[in-house]
Amino acid sequence: MLCEECGKNQAEVLMTTVVNGQSATRHLCRECLKKYQAGDLQALLAAILSTMAGKLQETDEETPDIICPKCGETYAEFQKTGMLGCAECYQAFRKELAPVITRVQGRSQHAGRRPPVSEEEQARQTKMEELRSLMEAAVAEENFEEAARLRDELRAMTPAREAKA
Amino acid sequence: MSEIVVSSRVRLARNYEDLPFRNKITKEQSEECVRRTLEALRPLPQPYTFLPLKGMEANEKKALVEAHLISPDLMEHEETAAALIRDDEKISVLMNEEDHLRIQGFTLGENLNDAAECAFSIDDALQEQLSFAFDPQWGYLTACPTNAGTGLRASVMLHLPMLTAQKQMGKVNQIAAKLGLTLRGIYGEGSEAQGNLYQLSNQVTLGKTEKEIIDAVAATARQMAEMERIYRHKAEDKDAVAFEDQLFRSYGLLTNARRMPIKEFMAHWSNLRLGAALGKLPVSLKTCDALLTAAQPAHVQKAAGTALNDKDLDAYRSELIRNALV
Repeated sequence: MLCEECGKNQAEVLMTTVVNGQSATRHLCRECLKKYQAGDLQALLAAILSTMAGKLQETDEETPDIICPKCGETYAEFQKTGMLGCAECYQAFRKELAPVITRVQGRSQHAGRRPPVSEEEQARQTKMEELRSLMEAAVAEENFEEAARLRDELRAMTPAREAKA
Repeated sequence: MSEIVVSSRVRLARNYEDLPFRNKITKEQSEECVRRTLEALRPLPQPYTFLPLKGMEANEKKALVEAHLISPDLMEHEETAAALIRDDEKISVLMNEEDHLRIQGFTLGENLNDAAECAFSIDDALQEQLSFAFDPQWGYLTACPTNAGTGLRASVMLHLPMLTAQKQMGKVNQIAAKLGLTLRGIYGEGSEAQGNLYQLSNQVTLGKTEKEIIDAVAATARQMAEMERIYRHKAEDKDAVAFEDQLFRSYGLLTNARRMPIKEFMAHWSNLRLGAALGKLPVSLKTCDALLTAAQPAHVQKAAGTALNDKDLDAYRSELIRNALV
C-alpha cells in the first residue's frame, strides 16, 4: 500500500498517534515518518486532525459541518487541508480549533508583538474601564438598576470578536 | 561564531484582516494584496526591487530560491506571487505565498537580532497604515494554525562537518527537539545533508515572545557550534596530517578539476569552508559562502548566459570555482 501522507512511496511503517486518549494509525513511508520524528508541526497538525475526524465519525455521524460565514470554508475542509479560509474562520471554528491549537503549539495564549492601538481604540478602552469601575461601584451600593444599565452600555461597546472570546 | 554559523534569518507571517487566505482568495484580491503592500512601503528610504513571478524565466526564479530570497512555495503561486527585495538583500517581502505576506530579514553570520530588526521595521511600516488579522488570544492569524501567534520563524544556517562525520547528528537532533526546535539539511533530499549544512529553527510560534523564540534558537546554535568546535579540535589532535590531507585534497580538486558536478562540489565545499574557518586553506569564509550560492545550478546557468546541458554546466561550474579560488 502507498504512504498515507505523501501518496507516492510504498508504506513501510505503521505509526500510531495518541491524542487525548484516542489513538489513530497511519501507514507511512520512511521519508514521511522522518518528518513526524523531526517534530514537524504541520505533520503533527495533520495527525491530530485526522484522529479527531475519525473520532467525530465514530461518535456522531450526524454532526452537521460548521461553515465560516465569511469565506464559506467548512470545518471538514480544514480537517482535510490543515488550512483555514480567512481570519474569520478562527472565530467560526473557535470551539473546535482551541484544543487543536493548544495541542500543536503547546500553549494557548499569544505573547509578543501586537498591532498598534489607534487613538479611537485607546479612547474606547479608557471609556470601558471607566464604565466597568462605575458598574462595580453600583453593585457595591446595591444599585442594581444602575449596574444593569451600565452593563448594557458596556456590552454595546464591546466588539463582537472580543465578546465571543 | 561565523566560522560555524553561516547566516541568520527571521521571517514573519502576516495576513490582511479583510482578505481571504490562500485557499479562498480570488485573483483580484491577490492583486489587491500586492497593490496595498507596495503602496504602504513606497516611502521606505532604501532602494528595493519589485519582482512579480508571472512571466519570469524559470531559471531566474530558481536562482532566487537558491539565494534564499524567495521560497520554493512562492513558485507554486506564480500567477499572483511577487517579491519585494531590498537591494542589499537583507530584506525580502514575499506576497501571496502561503500567507499574504512573509517578511524576511537576513544577515550573514550569527545575528538573529539584526535579522529580526529588519523584519520588524517592515512589519511596523505596514501596520502604521494597514490592519493585519489579529486575535487577542491567538495573536497574528495565519492560513495554517501552526504559524499563528508571533508568526515568527527564526533560523540559523549551521556548518557542522565534524559532528556529521563523527555521527553525532542524532544527538544534536535530540537537543533541538527537546527545546521545540528542528534541525534540517538545507541542500539535498532525505537524510543526507549536502555540504553538511543544517538549518536550526523554532517550531512553536504561539505563547512565547519574539525575543524568547530568538534567544532560544541563538542559544541552541551557540551550543551546537561549541560541540562542533570540540569535534574539530579532537579530529585535529587525533591525526593532524590526515585532517589536513582531507582539507587540501578538496582544495586541490576544486582548484584543478575541469568538470564539477553539484553533489561533488557540495562535499568538497564543506572541506573548503572547514579549512577556511581553521585558517588552514588560503581562502576566506566570505569567498566560500559566496561560492556556495554562485555554484548552485541556476546561478551557473545564469552566469553562462546560454542554456547548457548537464556536462557543460559541470564544466562551467568548475571554471567559476577556479576563478573564485585561484
